[in-house]
Amino acid sequence: MGTRVLGIVALVAVLAASVNALFLVPADVNQGDAQRIMYVHVPSAWLGYLSFGVTALAGIGYLWKRDLRLDAVAVAGAEIGVMFTAFAIWGGMMWGRPVWGVFWQWEDPRLTTTALLLALYLGYLLFRRLTDDPHRRAARAAVVGIVAAVDIPIVHFSVEWWRGLHQGPTIGSPDKVLHPSAPGLFVLALVSMVVAFTLAWAWLMIRRYQLARIDWQIEEHGRLGRISAARRAVRAAATTPADGAAEGA
Amino acid sequence: MQDLGFIVAAYGVILGGMALYAVLLLRRLSAARRASLQVRRDAEAGLPSPPPEAEA
Repeated sequence: MGTRVLGIVALVAVLAASVNALFLVPADVNQGDAQRIMYVHVPSAWLGYLSFGVTALAGIGYLWKRDLRLDAVAVAGAEIGVMFTAFAIWGGMMWGRPVWGVFWQWEDPRLTTTALLLALYLGYLLFRRLTDDPHRRAARAAVVGIVAAVDIPIVHFSVEWWRGLHQGPTIGSPDKVLHPSAPGLFVLALVSMVVAFTLAWAWLMIRRYQLARIDWQIEEHGRLGRISAARRAVRAAATTPADGAAEGA
Repeated sequence: MQDLGFIVAAYGVILGGMALYAVLLLRRLSAARRASLQVRRDAEAGLPSPPPEAEA
């Protein structure tokens, strides 16, 4: 019930924030209407970070507690993080072409490290398919998820550490939270979209976590069923020669 | 509105993608719940569980 309410609230919030970003907030003087793409690009990037951060933390938690529920959180974060990172890249490309003049530039550290982040977590999802044993899979995936998370701060600080096409943070540093380098209306539109997207993310995470738990339970039932079937077969094989000998005698 | 094609492409893919993922997720969840129920019923009836490829 609570999750359903969250889903409805998230849907209304995303629609309202989108109408505001597309039709109510004025266009930027320099970038024109293309700047409106920032209102979906930035929340997507934020949720990519958040999702992969959750995957890494859940991985650490799994290695510590060996609780498969934490592995379910990790896989939910990875799958949803891949989606939002792909959205961030797509939104950035759609904004980059009219504003920078190019869709993509491999020399830019932010772009390249983000593409690497996407590739790392796609690899994480593929890596999970290598084994059927839930604990072995969870432990290996946890290590991959933690190692891949090293790229998150590299992506975030790449605009400060190296020079590239991508601009620095608008509101992402402590001093810029109080003095953002954008008008208040723009910041408000961006913050409201971040909140709306984060609500949608929370709903998706809960649903994906539930799916992971059920998948694991089905796997476990199947495994137990196969073990008991194998035991029955072994017992039957052990009794058959004796029966045959009795018949022969 | 300037650069309309880029704006529609960005919002269309991102909002449409989120909606599509949400719908597919709900369908996967519903299918998994049905499969889980079936597996439990089979277990209670003493039937052998299906192989992993049949579950998928």
